[in-house]
Amino acid sequence: MVRLRDVSLCLGNADQVSPVRFHLPSFEVEAGEAIALTGPSGCGKSTLLNLVAGLRRADEGQVIVAGVDLATLSPAQLDRHRGAHCGMVFQTFHLLAPFTALENVSIGLRFGARQRARIRTRATDVLQRVGLGDRLHARPDQLSVGERQRVAIARAVAGGAPILIADEPTGSLDPRTGREIFALLREIAAEQDRTLLMVTHDLALAEELPRRFDCSDLIRSTHVDAKTEAQVS
Amino acid sequence: MSFLSMALRYLRFRWLVTMLTVAGIMLGSALVCTVLALRHESERALSRDAGLFDLVVGGKGSPLQLVLSSVYHLDSPTGNLPYLEYERLQRDPRVLWAAPIGLGDNYEGFRIVGSEPHFFDLPDRDGNPFFQLSRGDLFEDRFEVVLGSHVATATGLDIGETFFGTHGLVQVPGSEVHRDFPYRVSGVLAPTGTAQDRAIFGSLASVWEIHESEDRLHSAIQGMAQLGDRQEREATAILIRLKTPGLRLWIADEIRTRSDGIAAIPINEILRFQRGIVGPVQRALLVVAAAVAVVACLTVLTTLHQAAERRRRDIAIFRSLGAVRWEVAALVFTEGLLLTGVGITLGLLLGHGGLALAAGPIRDETGLVLHAWRMPGSEVIALGTMMLCGAIASLFPAISCYRRTPIADLHLAD
Repeated sequence: MVRLRDVSLCLGNADQVSPVRFHLPSFEVEAGEAIALTGPSGCGKSTLLNLVAGLRRADEGQVIVAGVDLATLSPAQLDRHRGAHCGMVFQTFHLLAPFTALENVSIGLRFGARQRARIRTRATDVLQRVGLGDRLHARPDQLSVGERQRVAIARAVAGGAPILIADEPTGSLDPRTGREIFALLREIAAEQDRTLLMVTHDLALAEELPRRFDCSDLIRSTHVDAKTEAQVS
Repeated sequence: MSFLSMALRYLRFRWLVTMLTVAGIMLGSALVCTVLALRHESERALSRDAGLFDLVVGGKGSPLQLVLSSVYHLDSPTGNLPYLEYERLQRDPRVLWAAPIGLGDNYEGFRIVGSEPHFFDLPDRDGNPFFQLSRGDLFEDRFEVVLGSHVATATGLDIGETFFGTHGLVQVPGSEVHRDFPYRVSGVLAPTGTAQDRAIFGSLASVWEIHESEDRLHSAIQGMAQLGDRQEREATAILIRLKTPGLRLWIADEIRTRSDGIAAIPINEILRFQRGIVGPVQRALLVVAAAVAVVACLTVLTTLHQAAERRRRDIAIFRSLGAVRWEVAALVFTEGLLLTGVGITLGLLLGHGGLALAAGPIRDETGLVLHAWRMPGSEVIALGTMMLCGAIASLFPAISCYRRTPIADLHLAD
């Protein structure tokens, strides 16, 4: 489902004295697999998710998602591919403040789904599935943080995207709510055989997923690399 | 959800900024509408009234004053001229229609215009009778009068009712009321849409009678010899329609040469008045209106730019959900068009609504009949230009959103 080979990209401004470079020799996730991405802050976990979602393009190497090499897609095709194949859940929920829970999910369907008919019915069904059947018309500021993250999960899965990308989905929640959200994510991913890529700092949660990928060495300073190479030679 | 409903929701969410921006555009477009519509309507109304007569002959003085006093029933007359001059013009084969008028009294501020019964034979430019009776008859006896349509409405006078004229051309407290000479209403004219709707028409003989009686009284009080019947009657002005308007200058020159009076061509005087006095004021107002409109368009630009900056995270969320660049740009652009469109529509209603409210008092004060809801071509062009400016102003933040990459903005906090 997701395959990255010899992927590298320069992070920050390439003109600066010590630009940092993301490098990933190989990364593969099969369809229906759930994987935790762990590592310290700034190690490249989110960059890896962004590469998979097509929010960043690699300078070198191959990023293949759902059988498509993302490098071959135009910017518009990349946006549409993301909408169709990747459902994203963020640490700070990223709900649209002026819109109700139902509308937040519907907007996700509008851009992501190929078929625009029955959007409202589908959005309602998914919100009921995440336990928010009675909060359809509440705006984000009228929802608890746990409910907001449920709306975000509903939005991510409503379009039927086969890959669920969650960037620290429990990071802004208290431990109990965080565990509920984690359980919901796993359930929903498992129900429809979705691939789940979840960044987390919570090692206990990471241990509960079948596979864990340590991102600790993905980002290096090119200045340090050059110095090290000179010493070796 | 459509772009329109999403854009509307964002505008409603930022309701205060939206209202202030719309208010700015509304005021700008209202000002533009008012100035342009007022200019067009006043020009049209003034020309319509002025076009009724080819020449106005009166005593020495300002030609504009002569036109304003005899055609628009505004301002003071320039002075009298012998009635013989009217008789001479009446016999002139180049004259289609001529009528003397005598002014001097008013009723509740409406001028009593003394003339001859054939005054109402005045044809319009198509040859049809200009005056039509709405009810009653034309005056026959000396103290019978026919009311202009607005006079009948404003005073409530009707057929058979009587009233007393007051000395002077405007209503001033303490003015002398001619209680010995009651006027009786014989008829009411149909509306003409001109200043004639604000006049009361009676016979010239009754005007002479009232004022000769006054002269005799004044002479007696002052111990002077009582004046006999005047050998030479006078008229305040003579209104003339020629067989062809091309004769205006020729006859005006003849009158100036042979008499002490002046002959004014109403349409020329009014055009000169508009270009010399009204025009510069209107142009200045138009410049102010254009400046307000430009500021309003800049407000749209600022508002949308700030909204787009504040919504960087939302735009990034749309992109993360699969929206392509042009879709987020279209959303911002739609908001700009909505702001401008709603502002201009409200401005249009405010401008013309204000004009509709002012039309009554303007008609009462000046006799000019304004059609408040008529849109001149210049106004359509001005509002279209404003809409275009609003669209261009909306384009900048839309392009900015189009160019943004979502990755940095997705990490902005809620």
